[in-house]
Amino acid sequence: MSEDIATTVLQSAGGGRDVPASPSPWRRWLGENGLQKWAFYVPVIFLVLFFVLPMATTVVWSVFERTQFWMEPGFTFFAYENFFTSARAENYVYSMIHSAWAVVISFALGFPIAVFVRRRVPRAAQHRVILLFILPFMISELVRVFAMRPILGRYGVLNSLFMDIGLIDEPITAILFSPLGVVIGDVVSFLPFMVFAGFLAMEAVQPYVFEVCDDLGARTLRTFRDIIVPLAAPGIFAGGIFIFVNGLGVALVPIILGGPGAVNAGLIVNQAIVALDFPLAMAISTIMIATLVALLYIGHRLFDLTKILEPIN
Amino acid sequence: MSAQPDTAVEVDGLSKNYGPVAALSSVSFSIESGQYFVLLGPSGGGKTTLLRLIGGFIRPSRGRVLLHGRDVGDEPPNRRPTSMVFQSYALFPHMSVERNVAYGLKLRKMAAPEIGRRVARMLELVGLAGYEARMPHELSGGQQQRVQLARSLVLESDILLLDEPLASLDAKLRKDMCLELKHIQEKVGITFIHVTHNQEEAMTIADRIAIIADGRLVEEGTARDVYERPRRRFTAEFIGDNNLLHGTVSAIAAEPGGRVKVDLGYAEVAVDATVAEGTDVAAGDAVSLSVRSELVELVAPGGAEDGARQTVPATYLEEVYLGLTTSHLVRLPDGSEVAVRRISEGGDAAPPAPGQEVRIGWKTPSARLHVE
Amino acid sequence: MRDDYTSELGHGLKWAYLLGIVGALLAPVFYVIYISFNEFGFGARIYVFTVDWYRVVLGDKMLVASLEWTIYLALAAVATAVPMGLLSAKLYKKTRYKVAIVTLMLAPLFVPADIMASSLLVFFRHLNGIFELIGEALGWAWLTHWFELGFFTALVGQILYTLPYAFVVILITMSRYHPQQTEAARSCGATAWQAFWHVEFPQIRAGVFSACAFVVILSFNEATRTALLKGGFDTFSNVLVSQMLNVGMSEESYAMAGIMSIGAMTVIGSILIYTLVRSERLEREARAKAEPVMST
Repeated sequence: MSEDIATTVLQSAGGGRDVPASPSPWRRWLGENGLQKWAFYVPVIFLVLFFVLPMATTVVWSVFERTQFWMEPGFTFFAYENFFTSARAENYVYSMIHSAWAVVISFALGFPIAVFVRRRVPRAAQHRVILLFILPFMISELVRVFAMRPILGRYGVLNSLFMDIGLIDEPITAILFSPLGVVIGDVVSFLPFMVFAGFLAMEAVQPYVFEVCDDLGARTLRTFRDIIVPLAAPGIFAGGIFIFVNGLGVALVPIILGGPGAVNAGLIVNQAIVALDFPLAMAISTIMIATLVALLYIGHRLFDLTKILEPIN
Repeated sequence: MSAQPDTAVEVDGLSKNYGPVAALSSVSFSIESGQYFVLLGPSGGGKTTLLRLIGGFIRPSRGRVLLHGRDVGDEPPNRRPTSMVFQSYALFPHMSVERNVAYGLKLRKMAAPEIGRRVARMLELVGLAGYEARMPHELSGGQQQRVQLARSLVLESDILLLDEPLASLDAKLRKDMCLELKHIQEKVGITFIHVTHNQEEAMTIADRIAIIADGRLVEEGTARDVYERPRRRFTAEFIGDNNLLHGTVSAIAAEPGGRVKVDLGYAEVAVDATVAEGTDVAAGDAVSLSVRSELVELVAPGGAEDGARQTVPATYLEEVYLGLTTSHLVRLPDGSEVAVRRISEGGDAAPPAPGQEVRIGWKTPSARLHVE
Repeated sequence: MRDDYTSELGHGLKWAYLLGIVGALLAPVFYVIYISFNEFGFGARIYVFTVDWYRVVLGDKMLVASLEWTIYLALAAVATAVPMGLLSAKLYKKTRYKVAIVTLMLAPLFVPADIMASSLLVFFRHLNGIFELIGEALGWAWLTHWFELGFFTALVGQILYTLPYAFVVILITMSRYHPQQTEAARSCGATAWQAFWHVEFPQIRAGVFSACAFVVILSFNEATRTALLKGGFDTFSNVLVSQMLNVGMSEESYAMAGIMSIGAMTVIGSILIYTLVRSERLEREARAKAEPVMST
């Protein structure tokens, strides 16, 4: 049997397969080092054209002259003046504070879950537990924020419940249509992200670290503060930034849950667009993007955000 | 540079850079058809890069690869007369053994009955008849590598590339598979190029061995050549258990076949000029000598120094029992250590006490001279 | 991992907390669904089960038309964002500039909806103006309407929103794939495309399908970017937002919210169940692998 193989193989040895000596020009052009190679860059080109370029040019549009319905080329800081000298700047700062609260609350609620899953759940089941948080995340933010109204409102579930058990006599109206409502809405919207980011970040904390801590007799809080948080810092920071900028920039939450005093950057932009003041909208967008880039830069200097990528490599 | 008709692979000035890092710098050699050729070297030395350049998985930065005299520089792997066996994880996990082996033939649009015949024959050759329906994860590591071998051989390529094919197997299995690879190669008669960092594996199977380190071809020859007559110091350090002695050339014999004298600082020894072949030395050059540990002896005190043997003084350190052999470690006056290896025999004479002054020696032709 | 000294009670409480958070995030949605089936809507003292509100929604021609637009957009987003996610994940695997690629791919996540939407709106209007000018100058009428607000611009907004998710989901599946298999296929004579289609794709199929489901749901849920970039038509979520803002919370809007959440839960729920069943099967196979038939 094997003799046969030996002979067939031997016959073909030395001759080479029937392959043309060199590929034809069109083949080279279409081949792996030609067009096919460039196909992989299509998403990159798309993002540069329709994401990087529009974001970068906001700063150009922001100094254009406003016209009645649109804008015309020019160079003026009127939009920025308008922003900084009106209540908008103040609102922007307030919404940053509210957003920061949303980050802190999300961290306090969400990150321990990530630690718990990494530390106490068998490795094979960890992803499945985290998948549980996909479900609320995949239901429209619109619906989830909207659903807070019948929960938190004057005649909502919480108030009826509290009144029924005699905790309060009058319905609490301070929650909905106030900054508190917006913070709650942000937490409800973005908490799953803190769990995901924390879970990814905890990849940087090897299981033996916990054992070493136990062995050295470190108490839970100390372990958390001295070991886990520093190791997972890049991931926590990325999750925090995500919640912060979305709290700042998603208008839907203050539109549905906020009152007159609860406006964020997204809503100011939204209102400027509705008022056809495009340069103002672009000026605020520019400030918002600058805030984001500054935060990312600071975070990168502090924690080296590229560490987050290690689990995927 | 026209290749001989019986030259399967010719590599000419081949280099590969990754940014500023040179993975391979200007390597040239050729491999005759039907040889079992082994690329041996430490990890990260560039041997796998070289193999992947031959297979067409990466493009060279400079230089050419000729397969049967044809420049294949622009051809992707599927158009080259090569096929490759990988370290592990390279079986298609969603296909049965049979479909794995048949895959390449199917791509060639061969008729189904013919595919069936060839696959069956090949599985028999690698000793896996009856395993057709198994999935890769149902096989042991050794069986998986056999399937890979069958998948490559069934294509009847002229050149088979093997990238550390036995690295994931345990020591015992590796030994068996090694011999079997050699026998299969003898049966099919095609050129095998095998990458490994394991010296014993290389010795077992190779017709010729090329030693690759730091992106360069250090030395090439038969197993016996590189083990017994290493030309380069690196080879001596890498292969076998060589002792290295450092010194300077003090005198060169005028007559051909004469001896070179080397001053070690504490003694002067003679080296056969024939073993220094190819190394041009002049008086005053820094050189090193390599002597394999099994060729060094503890010399009984008072043993006369004749021309056939070179001896130097040493201090006895300790005895290390290794099973088959026993190593005696001694320290030379310049501080370097030398191992003296003997086959362990029951009732060995008691070794010298630690700290005792001894002499070690070797037959003059056993030492090889290397330029620093 | 749990060890023998972990307190059972503490462990149980932590689990309860975890499930409690998931529950707290989901409960309001279930409450909305619950109300949407009440004949008398929110705040009524009595509860009478009915599907009438759903009938009203699905009987409304305008709403059905918006649902159609939503479906077209979702299909177009899947057809573009998923292949692009696949290409970019492949690029990420190949390239030496991994940090740059991943930063670019994930950056859209960090730009909030309203900021991105208004920037794109202004960008497209300028682009449209420029194309109109060029079109007029050269007399090429076909150039003038390229970037008018409409389906295409809305789609761009949706791709920017969904592409990062598609990229991440596919990349995570791909990280379990051994690239030697592609090389082995190439060595068997496959072209790059054949190697991908025969060997790699069957192994990352689950990830690609999950990415499709993600993109469909995200596209279905998206409201802000579409609202600004869509031009003349409305999607389902656009209608829901404008109803909530103009009419307030009508029974109809509860039913619409119900449709959106039930739809999403059905899709995600079936994927979760499929994934769990599949990983169960893989584990069984892994156990079988742990005791292989050793004969060589």
